[in-house]
Amino acid sequence: MHARVLVVLAMRNLRRHLRRTLLTASAMIIGGGLLMFSLTFGDGSHEQWIDSGVRLGTGHVTVERPEFRVRRRIDDRLPAEVRRAVEEAFASPEIAPYVVATSSKLSINGLASSAAGARPAQIMAVDPVAESAFGMLDERVAEGRYLEPDDRLAAYVGAEMVESLELRLGSRLVVQAQDAEGEIAGQLLRVVGTFRSGVPEVDRALIHIPLTTAGEWLGSKQDVTNVGVLLDGSAATGRVADRLERVLADPVARGEARVMRWREADPALAAAVAIDDFGNYLIQAFLFTIIAFGIVNTVLMSVMHRHREFGVLQALGLTPGQTGAVVLIEGFTLTAVSGFLGVGLGLLGTWYFLGDGLDLTAMMENMDEMTFSGVAVDPVIVPLFTARRIVQVLVFILFVGAMASIYPALRASRIDVTEAMKFDR
Amino acid sequence: MSPITDENNAAVRTAGVWKIFHQEAEEVRAVQDVSLTVERGEFTALAGPSGSGKTTLLNLIGGLTRPTRGQVWVAGREVSEMSNRELAQLRLEQVGFVFQAYNLLPVLTALENAEFPMLLQGVAAAERRARVQELFARTGMEGLEDRRPGKLSGGQQQRLAVVRAVASRPALVLADEPTANLDSHSSEALLDVMAELNWDLGVTFVFATHDARVMERSRRLVRMVDGHIDSDETRA
Repeated sequence: MHARVLVVLAMRNLRRHLRRTLLTASAMIIGGGLLMFSLTFGDGSHEQWIDSGVRLGTGHVTVERPEFRVRRRIDDRLPAEVRRAVEEAFASPEIAPYVVATSSKLSINGLASSAAGARPAQIMAVDPVAESAFGMLDERVAEGRYLEPDDRLAAYVGAEMVESLELRLGSRLVVQAQDAEGEIAGQLLRVVGTFRSGVPEVDRALIHIPLTTAGEWLGSKQDVTNVGVLLDGSAATGRVADRLERVLADPVARGEARVMRWREADPALAAAVAIDDFGNYLIQAFLFTIIAFGIVNTVLMSVMHRHREFGVLQALGLTPGQTGAVVLIEGFTLTAVSGFLGVGLGLLGTWYFLGDGLDLTAMMENMDEMTFSGVAVDPVIVPLFTARRIVQVLVFILFVGAMASIYPALRASRIDVTEAMKFDR
Repeated sequence: MSPITDENNAAVRTAGVWKIFHQEAEEVRAVQDVSLTVERGEFTALAGPSGSGKTTLLNLIGGLTRPTRGQVWVAGREVSEMSNRELAQLRLEQVGFVFQAYNLLPVLTALENAEFPMLLQGVAAAERRARVQELFARTGMEGLEDRRPGKLSGGQQQRLAVVRAVASRPALVLADEPTANLDSHSSEALLDVMAELNWDLGVTFVFATHDARVMERSRRLVRMVDGHIDSDETRA
């Protein structure tokens, strides 16, 4: 019964100073809306960075030998049974729903040379069809075309390497690397296409060649160094990686394989996302600190204004704790309602951009490409909604509201009843 | 929970009660060694000039403040050592307050104000409504149930405060200068109401007042000077 009375009193008091309540609620609604707006766009842009990064790299989750990441040598090929187990796991009902594409690659360091000179190269032997679905380089053709299934001695080369080796479409180049026998082996290739990924490091060093060509050239047959999977969102990474680790428990224990999440495979990208998130959180913390002071001010003013009233409540039989609870309920209700409205407003504002995204191209006027931490940044940001984020924002707003109401509630609970009754406005 | 009870079961009993305030370096003895018993059904006035300690004594009896020394029993329960929660419960169940400044809750209607202590006590809605309707009829408050205190006259507000204090059926009603803000007509009307409630329902009233009308109407007059009882006169 008491609880209901306390709630009624709190609600009536909020309504009593409607203008003050609405002003404070407006600040919370706008703050909540901005928070939701900025977080969904932040999450959207991070998802784009991650997508771009994992497509250029080895996927959201990749399986490779533990030494591969450091040495990038042909000796670090995955055992055939591990590759088979991984590919079966990708097709399993637990993982398949999340899978957008998979790609098995042989990735090694080598040397690319032409009549004009030689350059260090990262040679990536791929299945052209699988890689088209997995990566994004086939969409970044500068000249010519991407690899095709029937290609044999074809090379798809980064534009900067093409320039530095003075190559053209149809030019020949020689790639050299250590083969499966440990000998240095060379292979003559012909440039069928060039690409600009937007990431200078990639355009300067990466060469795609058909996996079958690499198998014959290096004696590695169909062996690969990585089996990667592209998921329908980075959120599924942990689930898929955990499942793979269970499937590959034995090879992992024997040191023959390692399951890597994109955060481990690309720590620079993970750091970039974390730093950007931290910056956003910091700004939002400042924003909500200001809003919290606004709530404290409003609720505290209300408490000071009702000093005598709280005295009366206690004289009539409310305990100090119940008196404080009235104030806490007021602050919490104000925050909860405006928090929900703010999140709704934020979602509504963001909804508009869900289809085409927010195009920031105008801000990149004099730039062909923008890269960040080795990732090409798309100037069109599509917001990302997740239930987890919405719940986080609501919990955060409620937490701020509860915290901001505690001090006024304590003030209300600690009044001296006899003094409060003397209090005259 | 109060471990000590008063065998006499008077509405109020104080024994050697002191209340000393410290204002900066000065010690103010607001109540000095007051021993007083108010039996159930009494209509008692504590009279005296400002600063004589009558309001402080009323606050001590009502459990709004604790004595520096001595003991206070309300409805047989010793209140001096009670926790805040126990004091709140005591006020809720045993004491009704009427204040000089009415002190109604502005966000509640007249009916809700009157029902408020009973709502806290958990009295059923029908019972609450019946008690309040009866008291509204007795006090001439009928038809004002839905008005907020701000829409009532001073006299109406004070009558509503009396209804609120009485409706929960406390052991006693403490009224601190209840007529101080009222004109003579309203004061008389209010005193009529309280006298009737005392007579008909046996409600115990203790007033702190320096209003001659209240003193005249009370059946017992306790005069206080400088924090102690100067005289205690019971009338026929």
